[in-house]
Amino acid sequence: MEVKRRSIGQIFIVVFLFLLALVMIYPIYNQLVISLTGPEYIAAADGTTLVARGMTLDTYRSVLSIKKVYRGLLNSLYITSVGLVINIVLTSMGAYALTKRDLPGRSLIITFIIITMIFEGGLIPDYFLMRDLGLLNRYWSVILYKAVNPYYLIILLRFFDRVPKSLIEAARMDGYGEIRILFSIVIPISVAGIATISLFYGVFHWNEYFRSMIYLIDEAKMPLQVVVRELVIAGEKANFIGATNYFNVQGAATVDFKALKAALIILVIIPILLFYPFVLRYFVKGRLEGSVKE
Amino acid sequence: MEVKRNLKKRIIRDKQIYLLLFPVILFFFVWHYIPMWGARIAFQDIRYIGDNQWAGLKHFRMLFSSPVFARVFLNTIVISSMKIFIFFPMPIVLAFLFNEVTSQGYRKFVQSVIYLPHFFSWVVIAGIFISLLSSPDGVVNQILIFFGADPVPFMTSTRHIRWVFVVSEIWRSIGWDSILYIAAINSISPTLYEAATIDGASRLQQALRITLPSILPTVITVFILNLGFFMNAGFDQVFNMMNDAVINHVDIIDTYVYRIGLAKGNFSLGTAAGLFKGLIGLFLILSTDRLSRKATGEGVW
Repeated sequence: MEVKRRSIGQIFIVVFLFLLALVMIYPIYNQLVISLTGPEYIAAADGTTLVARGMTLDTYRSVLSIKKVYRGLLNSLYITSVGLVINIVLTSMGAYALTKRDLPGRSLIITFIIITMIFEGGLIPDYFLMRDLGLLNRYWSVILYKAVNPYYLIILLRFFDRVPKSLIEAARMDGYGEIRILFSIVIPISVAGIATISLFYGVFHWNEYFRSMIYLIDEAKMPLQVVVRELVIAGEKANFIGATNYFNVQGAATVDFKALKAALIILVIIPILLFYPFVLRYFVKGRLEGSVKE
Repeated sequence: MEVKRNLKKRIIRDKQIYLLLFPVILFFFVWHYIPMWGARIAFQDIRYIGDNQWAGLKHFRMLFSSPVFARVFLNTIVISSMKIFIFFPMPIVLAFLFNEVTSQGYRKFVQSVIYLPHFFSWVVIAGIFISLLSSPDGVVNQILIFFGADPVPFMTSTRHIRWVFVVSEIWRSIGWDSILYIAAINSISPTLYEAATIDGASRLQQALRITLPSILPTVITVFILNLGFFMNAGFDQVFNMMNDAVINHVDIIDTYVYRIGLAKGNFSLGTAAGLFKGLIGLFLILSTDRLSRKATGEGVW
């Protein structure tokens, strides 16, 4: 009875949500199809192509044989992994210290951190800081950028708060130091919290391109996002398969620019897709823990 | 005296905690507070030999008399307003729609698909939209052609580019931003709906009379938070989607700071523009925080 009464409105909503999901997924699917289309069919492929004809992984082989691209991939992996370790260690240290409610000066320290969320020196003073620290053209300038994000610190703080105080007190009785308590008790218990902020920070590092563009000077140090941007957005074709590189790229002569762009877009989102199941598990909850807007 | 000794004792007791905090505080000091002090170059002329010289408000006067900055300022407000007023209600509506779906499996499926674009960089999203909207190959123009309309070069059309911003923002964030509202709806007590059903209220009536008022505080809080960040019209989006054909319509303060300040080397002028934006932002955040305290009894911060 109940179901029947509201069926029309409900069917409408179900169909609408399906269309919405389609709108979200189709542009990505279309890029995937174009990237897999064989050279003899690629000229005819466009935004409405649903099936990859003459399916081949050649475009990916060509893309990965471009020096810039595989170096970019390695750079991104390096920056993301080193950055992540530093993020987790620093954020855990800060969050654990702030779980101690009776710490003298606690609210002062929190204010000190929150001020950085609402006011910043800006792009140019940031750039000058990197120059003065001698970090320009070094990976550290990018690795340490936003090394502690206050939003994520607050999220982790809420996870750490759930660790039973009795456990920590007992460890103190046993003569454990605070550093040992943090690393051997609090962090292992808060796996979900660590996973959540790791995903936040990981996505941040993986997607970062702008500071890399301005802080790093050598082309050889650029992360993948910068390389993708150069080709897909700025359209600097010549830098990739033109002139000097042309004959170095395996099969470059048969690779279509459109297919190359599509393959790059897919390549750079593959890690996101791989981690997406974990993202769904932790991110959505993390969003609610933090209740903050990005 | 007693209190003081007590404090000293507590500080000594917590010395390991301070040791843990030290690198974090050092990080914020170096990476955030030194640049705040560095922003004083907005009031200086940069000298490459010897110390910078104080220039008072010279760069601000230059900024405010510049027609380019006036345009950039206006673009920031227009683009930000379009995003807030057009985009803002959409995730709320979406959350209401999800609430009407009885099949948990279907709900989960749709949700996991529409959250996805949030995790792509604007480089990727811009790349996807450039392809999606290309003329005449992109799917949007193919559809237009199918219905007998002329293809539109959206990315280079001054009439359309701001709408491209709004639509790509929707594409990226409608799902993600609906999460907060979905959670707010889930926390409503089911007994309210049961009582309403017994009283014969339709689903629509229930949505408007029970769901909407219940999530209103969340809506207000998010709206106020958005207003606080009003001056951030979306640097990454604009930076990756702009091109020479539309630059006058899309250039915002943040892209202006980059172009004038870093790319062209007018460091003081660029910093002045950034500082001006930062001060407006600070004012907005502090006043919206007060507004929030009045409206919901809770601050944003």
